[in-house]
Formats: sequence, C-alpha cells, structure tokens
Amino acid sequence: MNRLLPLVALLLAGPLAAAPRGDAASARAAILDRFTAALHADVASLERLLADDLEYCSFRGTCQTKRQYIGEVQSGVLKYQSIDPSVERVKLFADSAVVLGRVTVTATRAGVERTVSLMYAGVLAWRDDRWQMTTWTSTIVEPAVDPQSK
Amino acid sequence: MKTRRTTPRNVPIVIATIAAMTMLCGTSFAKEPSGSEAALRASELRRFEANVNADARALGELLDDGLEYVHSNGALDSKQSFIESLTTGRRDYASTEASIETIRILGDVAIIRGTAKVTVIDAGASRDLHIGYTDVWLWKDNRWQMTAWRSARLPDSVK
Repeated sequence: MNRLLPLVALLLAGPLAAAPRGDAASARAAILDRFTAALHADVASLERLLADDLEYCSFRGTCQTKRQYIGEVQSGVLKYQSIDPSVERVKLFADSAVVLGRVTVTATRAGVERTVSLMYAGVLAWRDDRWQMTTWTSTIVEPAVDPQSK
Repeated sequence: MKTRRTTPRNVPIVIATIAAMTMLCGTSFAKEPSGSEAALRASELRRFEANVNADARALGELLDDGLEYVHSNGALDSKQSFIESLTTGRRDYASTEASIETIRILGDVAIIRGTAKVTVIDAGASRDLHIGYTDVWLWKDNRWQMTAWRSARLPDSVK
C-alpha cells in the first residue's frame, strides 16, 4: 500500500499545482491586444479577448454587451482611426485582474470623428486559460477635440 | 520490545504525502471566502451616504488605499484627496440618489454598474448631475473596498 502513496499524492497534487494562472504581464498584454484588435476591427481577436458577459461602458455613460460592441466595430458604425493606450496599474487576483490606465482615442461613430483622452478601468477574468475582458469603463479626462464644435 | 524503524526507502513516500497534503490544505484555506453580494450592495449604499455626510471614518473603511476616483468632469482623486475634499468642504455632496443596475462578483473583485442623481455644491454653486457609473471593489481584510470609480454625465445631466 505504501508503494502506491506517491502515485496517489501525485494524482491529487498534479492538477492543483499545474493549473496556470494569468500573471500581471499577460493581463497587461491582453488589454493592449484588445486595443489593437479594436483598431483593426479584428473581430476574431475581439471574440477571443472579450468575455461573453462583457459590460462595455463608454465615456458617454451608457453600456453595451459584447455582441453590441463587436457589432458596431464589425459594421463600421464605430471605426477607430488611432488608439494610444498606456497601462498604469495592474492589480492581480486569483482569477481576475483590474487594469487601470489612460488612452487617447480617435474614432468615427456614425460618421462623426472625435478624439478623446480617457482614464479607463478594465476588469479581466481568467477563463479558458486566457484573460477575457469582462468590464470596461472610462471617463473623459481632457477636453475632447470635436470637429463638430469648431 | 520491537522498535519500528523508518528506513530510507520510506522517506520519499513521506515527503510526497506531506507535499500533497500541504498543497491540498493550502488550496482549501488560502481561498478565503469572498464577500457576499448583499454585503457589497450595503457597502455601496453606505459609501454614498458617507459621501453626503462627509464621514471620513466610514470612507476610510470603504475605500481602498489604492483608490483611483475619476469624477465625471475628469478630475482625479486618490483616497486621501477624495476624503480631504469632503471633510474640508471643498466638495459637498448635498444629496445622492443611487440606483444599482448590476452587480457582478468575480472572486475577490466585484463590479457595480448604476446611475445616480447627485446634487453637488462646488465653490458655492449647486449643480444637479445625472451620471452613469461603474465602480470596482476588492475583497480585502474581510470587507469590500472600492478601488476604482468611473462615471460619465448622462445626456439629461447639466453640463
């Protein structure tokens, strides 16, 4: 019986020890990848990087689901011209991460171009062995450059 | 009298068993149960009330030391500067009527989304704001603590 103990121990400990978790570097990369995917309207990457239960709350104060957000990007209703992001802090937990940063975005929505500087918070969930963004929220921190107001 | 000997051949068995038990116990006990949704909701409502009452003690408990509070006008506060703005009267929340729309808990992180009607007195002028907000909470030291606040003025809000 004693001879079987190491085998039993390994069988029990193996799955627990082997389960890899996302780290801060990969959380940072996931947020930056998400910006890149949005810029290029890369729907396949957005599908992978955004969680199915995403709440995407824009600087307008309104929120969209994953389907609604990807739908706008895919259809061209929302078209990004440039995205200049920075990640300032990553707070890492067992299966989630909070990423705080700033981003300057130039985008056209329904034909109207606008540039905004935002402070954002993204919450990532570690699911299916990858980070998926489950919450996005942002606030404008600098006056927007709005061609309509010129 | 018989003496039981621990032979070298048993040592790996003992080590492997101890290692497995340690990992199992560590996994069980390291995962401290997170706070409940009811506790989170109560913390959120208590925080809004503490804002109105400029209750520094309550805010000290409810706000994370690493708080990043971005007001709807883009102004940024830390925990310290936010509490200070209330206790000095530089910022005065006359009233807040909050409506929580969704609460999601992901282990030790939680996200609340909602709207709020806020009357704030800023430099002697009273303004009524209608905002949409999302805030992020952490379960630390056996209580919920807000670590990030983002809000935006809704279309019917004053500018």
